[in-house]
Amino acid sequence: MPGNKLIRALFLIVCLGFGSGILLAAVGCDLNDPDRDVKRLFPGSTGYQTVYVSISEKGGLDLLRTIEDRLGDSFKGLFETADVPYTMYRIYRGQELIGYIHGVNQKGRYGGIQVFLALDLKGTIRAFYIQKLTSRQARFLRSPEFGRQFEGLSLTDFYAYDPASGRAPGSSRVSAISNPAPEAQDDFLATLRAVKKNLILVDEFLLGNAHLPARTSRTGGESGSRSER
Amino acid sequence: MISIYQVAAKNLLRKRTRSLLTVVGIALSAWVLVSLLGFNRGYENALSKDIDNMGFQVLVAAKGCPYEAATLMLKGGTGLRYMNQSVTKAILSHPEVEQVTPMLMQAVFDPNKGEDGSLTAYLGVDPVTFPPMKAFLKFKQGGWFTGQDARQAVMGYEAAELEQREVGDSILIPEKNIELKVVGILARSGTQDDGTIFVPIKTLQGIFDKNDKLTGIGIKVNKKADIAALEQKLYDLPDVQVVSLAQVKQTIMSLVSTAKIMVLSIALIAILIAMVGVINTILMSVLERFREIGILKSMGAMPWDVFRMIWVETVILCLLGGGLGVGLGLVLSKVTDLLIRRLLPYAPTGSLILIDGGLALVTLAAVVGVGLISGLYPAWRAARVRPLESIRAEGD
Repeated sequence: MPGNKLIRALFLIVCLGFGSGILLAAVGCDLNDPDRDVKRLFPGSTGYQTVYVSISEKGGLDLLRTIEDRLGDSFKGLFETADVPYTMYRIYRGQELIGYIHGVNQKGRYGGIQVFLALDLKGTIRAFYIQKLTSRQARFLRSPEFGRQFEGLSLTDFYAYDPASGRAPGSSRVSAISNPAPEAQDDFLATLRAVKKNLILVDEFLLGNAHLPARTSRTGGESGSRSER
Repeated sequence: MISIYQVAAKNLLRKRTRSLLTVVGIALSAWVLVSLLGFNRGYENALSKDIDNMGFQVLVAAKGCPYEAATLMLKGGTGLRYMNQSVTKAILSHPEVEQVTPMLMQAVFDPNKGEDGSLTAYLGVDPVTFPPMKAFLKFKQGGWFTGQDARQAVMGYEAAELEQREVGDSILIPEKNIELKVVGILARSGTQDDGTIFVPIKTLQGIFDKNDKLTGIGIKVNKKADIAALEQKLYDLPDVQVVSLAQVKQTIMSLVSTAKIMVLSIALIAILIAMVGVINTILMSVLERFREIGILKSMGAMPWDVFRMIWVETVILCLLGGGLGVGLGLVLSKVTDLLIRRLLPYAPTGSLILIDGGLALVTLAAVVGVGLISGLYPAWRAARVRPLESIRAEGD
């Protein structure tokens, strides 16, 4: 039937063509259902705005090096690159900006881990959410009890954590976070790294580098250029 | 004795700037023309090749079974039906069939994907027959499986990016609690393979307890075979549905033909612009030399001689402009290719601008032909000049 032929042809064009155009960009980390997830992570919010930003677009290799320095680890592998577009959600109550939500992809033991943080305007974690995790112990790391350990922490606390060695000084608040699934130590450490990276990116792109260890003249955040829609 | 060609050339050299601008105008039109014609051929060829590169022209699936991972997801992983592996032998017995590749699609529910869980699909493929059929698939890392029943996976680029996997990493099939080693990451292909996780078919059959079961069979048809006739024969197999890419290709090509007509229309406009330019230049030159032509005629030149002289001037301009334009088209075809790729939402792989000697000659002939037609009116006007009238008019 001609109708069927046309549908198949259009399907193929989409697969071959427009799809390929879209696929050229690196994949970021979006909330699966932002309308639902934003309300859940930020009770009382009435709306959100999405901001897309990448390291390559905001500062290129120099910025990447700066972020790696702050993270204490280098970006690794095929997919952790400067051109990953980060999706940042600005959360509103009425007209008032009340916080941010941001997620990052992190390599885990058996797959990508998507770690989202809901932050207040000062960058303090209000809610922690692992959207995706493939692991035999996934239910422990995705449990609300595990997530609650992150609430109230900020980048200042996470500077004490070294993702390269997976260690934090005993006195730090990060060292107090306990792993609910010792068999999944790899994924636990990957989660901590993802949280630190997440906080650094928010600080860089949204908070104007409010949490730089030694305050410099460097600016950024919302006053910088951004891509938005 | 000076020839008519030399006279014509000297006439053109007397107004160098105007002649040069006319040549440039014709050259630009010829460049546009040859590039558009080259694009018409190149785009169609490249697109056709891309469709052929999809591997198989016909897909046989169990009746009612979703044959795309996307459809499987939309149906919530339900609706999988199976064919027996023996169907492949029945298909191979047809003389039109060059090669077949069996496939098994399976999906598992992963409760830890998103708030409500989600499906992950795996495509079991034959390590022997599948890679040659999908020869266009290139690897970003690693390669195909090392064994028929190896616990290994090859991931499309997008699937690997989502799972942050690289060669040497492991993936876990959640419901089955089975680990597979990633041995290859495909480069982006722009097809649905980008989002697919490939597993050796025997491995997948074993993991899901579906020995000798298939959800699809890809068929590569002999180049000269009648695909429609083969499809009819395949419908005789019990409980199968036939999905033919030949139909899809035919439909896409008919859509491309429509686009070709638009491109040719633009080419026609380019020719018309060149034609008007040539008529204008030669006519101006005739009007300026009204007296001179009158003197030529009074000295014994016949109308045909004057006609030929003006016509030859036109041909010289068109030959120079056409040659220059076609040359530019040939030399800059790669640059034009790059520019067009930036503009098109989807550009197939392979050369988009296909200009060979034949097309160059055809274009040059078209430009000269158009020049000859354009030169008719000015030459006719020149041939009709009356010597006395022209000398008197210029004198006045």
